[in-house]
Amino acid sequence: MNESQSIFSKYRKIILAVIIFVVCDLMVIGINFYGTFKAQEAAVSINLSGRQRMLSQRMTKVLLLIRRSVDTNDEPSVLRNLKELDLTVNLFNTTLRGFRDGAMVTGGDGNPVFLVQVETPKSHQLVADAYKIWDPYFNLLQPLLGNNRHFSAEQLESVVTYAQNNNLEVLRLMNDLTTDLEFVANGRADFLRMVLLAGFIIALINFSYTVFISIRQLMATDRELAQARGETIEILSTVHEGLFLLDKEKRLGSQFSESLPRLLHREIEPGMNFLPILKDMISAETYESAVDYIELLLGDRVKEALVTSLNPLTNVSVSLSDSIGNTQNRYLSFFFNRVLIDDKISHVLVTVQDVTDKIELMQQAEQAKNQAKTEVDTLLRLAGNDFGSLQQFVFNVGQSLGQINEKLSEPIDDPRSRQHTLNYIMRLVHGIKGEAAVLGIDAIEGYAHSCEQEMVAMREGNTELSGEHMVRIAVLLEGFYSRYSSLNNIVSNLSAAMGGQEKIAAAAQADRPAEVALPFVEHITHLAQRIASDRGKQVEVNCQVAKFAILPANITKELESISIQLVRNALTHGIESPEERATLNKPQTGALCLFCEYLGNNLYDFTVRDDGRGIVPDRLRDQLVKSGRMTVQEAATMDNLEVTRMIFQPGFSTASDSADINAGHGVGLDAVLEKVKGMNGRLSVKSRPDLFTEFHIQFSVPQ
Amino acid sequence: MKSINEKDIHSFVDAVSGFFAQFAEEKVEIRAAYLVEGAIKPSTFELTSYITLSGDYSGRVYFSAPRALIAHLLLMMQEPNRNDDRLLDAVGEIANTISGNARKHFGETMEISVPSTEVTETGWLDTVVSPRSYVILVKWKQYRASVVVDIQRA
Repeated sequence: MNESQSIFSKYRKIILAVIIFVVCDLMVIGINFYGTFKAQEAAVSINLSGRQRMLSQRMTKVLLLIRRSVDTNDEPSVLRNLKELDLTVNLFNTTLRGFRDGAMVTGGDGNPVFLVQVETPKSHQLVADAYKIWDPYFNLLQPLLGNNRHFSAEQLESVVTYAQNNNLEVLRLMNDLTTDLEFVANGRADFLRMVLLAGFIIALINFSYTVFISIRQLMATDRELAQARGETIEILSTVHEGLFLLDKEKRLGSQFSESLPRLLHREIEPGMNFLPILKDMISAETYESAVDYIELLLGDRVKEALVTSLNPLTNVSVSLSDSIGNTQNRYLSFFFNRVLIDDKISHVLVTVQDVTDKIELMQQAEQAKNQAKTEVDTLLRLAGNDFGSLQQFVFNVGQSLGQINEKLSEPIDDPRSRQHTLNYIMRLVHGIKGEAAVLGIDAIEGYAHSCEQEMVAMREGNTELSGEHMVRIAVLLEGFYSRYSSLNNIVSNLSAAMGGQEKIAAAAQADRPAEVALPFVEHITHLAQRIASDRGKQVEVNCQVAKFAILPANITKELESISIQLVRNALTHGIESPEERATLNKPQTGALCLFCEYLGNNLYDFTVRDDGRGIVPDRLRDQLVKSGRMTVQEAATMDNLEVTRMIFQPGFSTASDSADINAGHGVGLDAVLEKVKGMNGRLSVKSRPDLFTEFHIQFSVPQ
Repeated sequence: MKSINEKDIHSFVDAVSGFFAQFAEEKVEIRAAYLVEGAIKPSTFELTSYITLSGDYSGRVYFSAPRALIAHLLLMMQEPNRNDDRLLDAVGEIANTISGNARKHFGETMEISVPSTEVTETGWLDTVVSPRSYVILVKWKQYRASVVVDIQRA
């Protein structure tokens, strides 16, 4: 009902114009029909009027013939003429009466026809004048009518005389009547022509108006359509979601949002089948469920609201390949809504959203929650056993981050200097990673490791280090600070709970109590066992570092940091797996020793020794060639000592798996050497293949 | 909580770089990127402009440059008038470009103020409030300048 009203309202003018057109046509046709009818009547009248002229003359003629026949006693002629007279008089009389009153008369063709009464006053007058003559005439004719042969000569003579006297007048009157009837008929014909002309003009105007209105309406509709299309295009080009329609054959509609190809990572054409697109992105199982779900929606057996929760394509992990074949994993959500026309399902509207950020945030939140729990557990453990080490660690991390930031703040204009800065930062990050590993603070260790991986990629990438790389490092540093801040807050709160800030300061400051060496032994042993376990190895740690307790804190800190790196190296590169050791006739459990000795004259020696596979120069050469640091010829010309020295170069590593958190990134021994230099010490290395590796660090401590 | 990321920072630096590339046919180069933390402060020069953001992120983004840099820029733009007002207008134009890029990068939901300009002293910017704001030191020809991103998630 509303739709009908709407259509009438929209096309009201056109409909009215058509109605006017039809009414005008009907009127013209009606008038035309009436005019034609009247013209037919006029034709009869004119025809019969003309016949009256002829009849008046025939009556006179027949009367004269009768008189001559009577005079010549030609009886047959008398009778024949009487008969004709009778017919003529009767015809004249009925026709004249028809002109006066309207009546059925005998037409020109002998058939009855209705003669209408004359209309104009003039005709009326002519008919009345005719009757003034005809009435006496008709009375005088009576004795002769009805084929009556018994009229007297006087009767005949009187009617002949009357006829002769009035013949011309009757003829004139009938002539005038004919003329008047013709005039009336002409007037009517003129009127009819005018009506037709007027009708034609009105029809033409109406037609023009209808065409004008129709064109204007069409133009308005076109404008509305163009505007609607424009708005649709604007929406489809602006909206972030992928929008498209699916028909019952699961083909895409002709229009879809511009973001759709970007979301699906492929070219989209109208009319494409959606299912193969979907199949490429998701697992077979999810695909099957999705096909069933879409079938359900396109069918009309179930209500949409009931099956919405069954949509298998919300937050679905998809694998998207771009034009150059790179595959990317994203999370997309597809929402389906039925489109109904006249209560029938015509299409399904599909909305696609990229929910990767949301899902990743949720995952990060979950991860952070789990990580925080682990972290808190670790911290609580440390707070119970070795709070001093934890405080020292936090203090050291803060200092290292500050050093990194300070280094980053130095303006650099050339890639080489940036390389030096990167190496410097990597050593500090590596140190943090090592210390975090010793204490088992996985969040810091893991983050340091991922930073290290990224910085290794920068250092070994194909492009020179640029300012953009420095921005990236600053962002990584911010991530470090963020984690450090959380840890620092927890430690501060714990320390406050454990007895005040003074205790922290005391523990973190240079003159630390002697017993700090003991937790170090415990931690380093724990670290060694953990790494060994991770790598499927067995190790026994012998740690004789009681002298650490009497050394200045800054020296001890550096030695602890060096120990972490050398222990990590020993377990990663030195000590073999139990199976490998068995084939070499070695005990399955490797030996790792850390000794700190006083040599006299303020000179100390710190040794880290493992009974692993040792440093094998040929293996180092292979690694140098594989990493592209030198050619086969260059490596071959170096002697064993020179090759062994290369292990202290930044970026050198023999580890094959960079994702392994314990594997080297070419930072470790570089950092160790830097620290030894910082202590004004001397670093030496002894090794024999398949037997041992021994690092000696000699340093002096002024009294 | 999602903090400001590398792309966000680059959207500001790229705006500055784009401005110089358009009007002075030479992009700026990044010399250093660091955080405002402890004793490490953001560098400022004689002319500073900034925009204030509010919405999902809030704070300010500063661009600071020495007078000589902006004068040289105006020279290259064939601007005969290089008095202080015109120099401040030019440094404001750079902030305006940063604003345009920020609007494009963060979307229309981000409210961004009209640029403000100040004649400052060479030294440290002391209006930075966000923890660990980013400082990007840039170079254009022989001149130094800085972009300070002092915004955080609201």
